[in-house]
Amino acid sequence: MSNPATDTLTHRWSTRVVHEVRDLAKHFALVGAFARVSLMSELEYRFNFAVRIFTDVIWYMAQLSVFEVLFRHTDSLSGWTLETMRVFMGVLFLTDSIYMMLFSENLDRLSDRIRRGDLDLLLVKPVSSQWMLSFQKISVAYFGNFIISAVWLGWSLMQVPGFDWWRLLWLLICVPCGVIVVYAIRFSTASTALYFTKADAINYIWYQLYRLGTRPDTVYPKFLRYAVLSVLPIAFLASVPAQVILNRTGSEMVLWGIALAAMMLAVSSFIWKTGLKRYASASS
Amino acid sequence: MTTYLNKLWGGARLAALEQLTYRFNLFSDVAIQPLIVAAVELTLWLAFFQSTGRSELAGFSQDHYLAYAIWAAFVARISANWMYEWNMIDSVETGAVNAVLVRPISFYSFWLGQFLGYKLLTSSFSLAVPLLVCWAMKLPVQIERLPLALLLVVFYLIFVHTIAVIMASMAFFFNRVHHVTVAKNITLWMLGGEFFPLDILPENLREFMIALPFSSAVFRPVGYLTGRLTTEQLGEGFVSIAIGQVILGSLAFVLWRAGRRRYSGTGA
Repeated sequence: MSNPATDTLTHRWSTRVVHEVRDLAKHFALVGAFARVSLMSELEYRFNFAVRIFTDVIWYMAQLSVFEVLFRHTDSLSGWTLETMRVFMGVLFLTDSIYMMLFSENLDRLSDRIRRGDLDLLLVKPVSSQWMLSFQKISVAYFGNFIISAVWLGWSLMQVPGFDWWRLLWLLICVPCGVIVVYAIRFSTASTALYFTKADAINYIWYQLYRLGTRPDTVYPKFLRYAVLSVLPIAFLASVPAQVILNRTGSEMVLWGIALAAMMLAVSSFIWKTGLKRYASASS
Repeated sequence: MTTYLNKLWGGARLAALEQLTYRFNLFSDVAIQPLIVAAVELTLWLAFFQSTGRSELAGFSQDHYLAYAIWAAFVARISANWMYEWNMIDSVETGAVNAVLVRPISFYSFWLGQFLGYKLLTSSFSLAVPLLVCWAMKLPVQIERLPLALLLVVFYLIFVHTIAVIMASMAFFFNRVHHVTVAKNITLWMLGGEFFPLDILPENLREFMIALPFSSAVFRPVGYLTGRLTTEQLGEGFVSIAIGQVILGSLAFVLWRAGRRRYSGTGA
């Protein structure tokens, strides 16, 4: 015999789940729509496609040149050989290209939009404002960078003796975690425009902190290493994923990465929601 | 000449006043950001010397490389031109350049005054930081060489400004020149020697990279200051920039005139 109270609770719960799933589907459908619009808009300026890829290839070369030159004078650097360092760079480029594709342009403009009071129209829409702001412009041009990065990573892994290719599957977990962590830190720093009149300085500092993630965490002194693995987990951008696929760290680091990604996302959402209470529309 | 210098000085004062409006931003620009860059580079060099167990590389000790890393981070920020180049391109794209065209000063000089003023302001604050850090860490710096090294940086800034005028002139002909400017600046960044001293490159590449005027952005002044280069080698930097200035200056002149002829006065 069924209990009416339990039935009501179950019904409420299932309705809620269905509602949440529909809501999530709506949000993802929105990303698809944004991607289509972004593609159409970018096709107007095809030259940009080439220039952006060219720019990033130069940036990749600049990053690679540091280690290529250093490894001419040594065989090992804090436990990394030239071959494994190339893998690290490959993972860095891959994660970076995904971040650039999805979030870079949106988050780079976020502070300005807040300062100019451009959020009004967005805040009245029946979707999460954080979601809208984060995905509004998908930089499709960076897909070219993604392909280049993937090819570089594949080539560099072929140089690693006895590499177990099945370990690449770890990237399916580690790379999204890295992207989420970077996104959350960047979103949080950009959201400080809700609290301060001009947050440019904090944004510029972010670019410098990002550089910490472009080097393996093992080159850092102990205190900085702890920092990039916990408080400011920028090591999850490339260092941790690279070590996971190279079998230099255990699965506990993957679990830690997942937990950190969830925590950082929650923190960014908290900073955003709290800051929105101060948003004065005309300008913050 | 005096009138011209007064105009430049006016531009410099304007830039300084603009920058002093947001002092925290200025502080971040001149101290916090280059300090973080220097710290990241220092850790890499420390890791290199610890991992290899070497006491020297290409004839210079660990301390020489640490001094180089600290100075390179600061000098690279001084010798780069992002903000004013973007403003110049914007002014052509949006038509704001009209306000400059009607003034009794050329586009080149109007922005040069502001650019140099901004750099004078930022460098007068930011150079104190590497001086203090190197003094505290007892790193090898030949302080008596600082004036000549800075003179080369100023000379290089004029050269970099000429390149910025070329980019702004391109805005008369093409849409979205900003993206090209990013590619160009990253290239200059790589050629300048901020990441590592250019003399540790393989021999054929080393000679070519050092001979280019871009090595005067970081490698020549910082190398001279930290004892890697002689006064004669620093002098070669002046010559290299002068040659580059003649070539790119002519190009800037031609492009600007051609762009002006196309320009309708309502934005490119």
